[in-house]
Amino acid sequence: MAELFDSTSKKNPFEDLAIVYVMYFDEAQGHMPLLIYPDDNYRNNKTFMRPIKYHPIWFLSLDESDALDHIDLEFKGYTFFGKKFLTRSKREKRRAGLEVETPETIVVILSLPDNIELFGDGLIRLLTQNIRDKYESKLFEIIDSEILKEEVIKSPTVKTRIEKGDSFKKELRTEIEVTTNKFFSDVIKNSDATSIRMQKAIAYLAFKGIDVSHLDGKEYNGTFSNIQLFDPNIQGEVNFVDKKPFIILKINIIEDSQELEILVQNNSLHAIKGTIVKINHLKEYFEKEVMIETIDSWEAQEELVFISPIIPYVDDYLFFIIDEVSNEKLLSKRIDLKLLEKT
Amino acid sequence: MAEELLKEEEIIIRNYRTSDYKATLKILRELQEQYNIGFVESKWRETSGLRQFKPNLKRITLIAELKKTGQVVSMGMLEAVKTNLGQYIGYLNNWATEKEFIGKGVGKILADRAIQILKSWGCEAVRINMAYIGEQKLIDIFGKVGFKPIITVLEKKFDAE
Repeated sequence: MAELFDSTSKKNPFEDLAIVYVMYFDEAQGHMPLLIYPDDNYRNNKTFMRPIKYHPIWFLSLDESDALDHIDLEFKGYTFFGKKFLTRSKREKRRAGLEVETPETIVVILSLPDNIELFGDGLIRLLTQNIRDKYESKLFEIIDSEILKEEVIKSPTVKTRIEKGDSFKKELRTEIEVTTNKFFSDVIKNSDATSIRMQKAIAYLAFKGIDVSHLDGKEYNGTFSNIQLFDPNIQGEVNFVDKKPFIILKINIIEDSQELEILVQNNSLHAIKGTIVKINHLKEYFEKEVMIETIDSWEAQEELVFISPIIPYVDDYLFFIIDEVSNEKLLSKRIDLKLLEKT
Repeated sequence: MAEELLKEEEIIIRNYRTSDYKATLKILRELQEQYNIGFVESKWRETSGLRQFKPNLKRITLIAELKKTGQVVSMGMLEAVKTNLGQYIGYLNNWATEKEFIGKGVGKILADRAIQILKSWGCEAVRINMAYIGEQKLIDIFGKVGFKPIITVLEKKFDAE
């Protein structure tokens, strides 16, 4: 992520991997950043802040947000995981009708490169849980301090409030850093090394300069992780558990009818009941549903065709397969028409 | 004639698979020769018969296969189309049987299954499109299972440029 935004920060090896935004809803200014980890300077970058401010999480009610657990947005090779919650407040609000006790709306957004997006679900849950549990009664003081910083004349009381907020903010930043580092260390130590997705993620970590050399060899006890890389000379069992249940076999544009045709296969060895297939189009960060279909039963290895009309001047489409009961996203794919062959 | 009829247990009715492409192509060619159904070979692709979903339309191609030999002997497409009034109407299209199996009751078994599926999809009626100058025999066969002619469709073909 950092290469996009000219960051030179290299404090720890995980800094470049995850960016965490703690945001709040300001009654006078709208969606505002409270803290950005690892580098607060991102808040001044308009290009960078746009997807954050317009992330769909902002527009969902808390009920919807809870039901969906978290909301993701894919944008330029990064996945933005968002979660929203309310916290206690004792701050005087700047809009009529809002009480001092009106809760603060907090949004936590985590951005990960697409290559390691499989860590997103776990990390956003952990971060939100920690922030919620430990800073429930402190977040409004950080907000208060951020608002007071804009005042031209700062009385000693104001200065004290700003200092207090800043000190909480510092703690919060450390908390995020510790949580993120621990998460990545744990996830690598404890995960199933035979999983293809995990191997891909680790390959990405190695590519990003994180030291995984200790993984290659038998003497890895006591090092950072106990994971081992695949040895091509050893024939192991194929891990079907982590095999993706659905794969996209082909995506075509049918020029005659101006339709987008997506061919998907149930890659598992059993029929899958109750899946929802959704095609949305994406225009300026907003998603609009083009098609939604419930598939009662999808037979093992069966290939299905999903066809969506192509909307004039819209090139970006999102394809999702979601479990009807758990709402878990089983497959998500962003489709850029400009990159497809026409048939 | 009755002793020539195939029994239901001798046939497997299943969804189309891409491996059925050649067999279905052969059947559709024969149908085109006989009734000029407007079949264009280049438009029938390997994936054309797969279960298909698009806004306001679901489509399945059913295949009847001989249990003993695995031979594809009949095919038929069923579609559920949502009308402007919000109702789903089912359609049976491109219903065709291999020449040597015509008259052996395969089409009837296939159609019964198709009607069950369309009912389960919530269709309020099922329609069959057939050639205007169709054989009276066919109309009588469908009449026996409740199909009555209700509309006449007029078509003008655009000449291929």
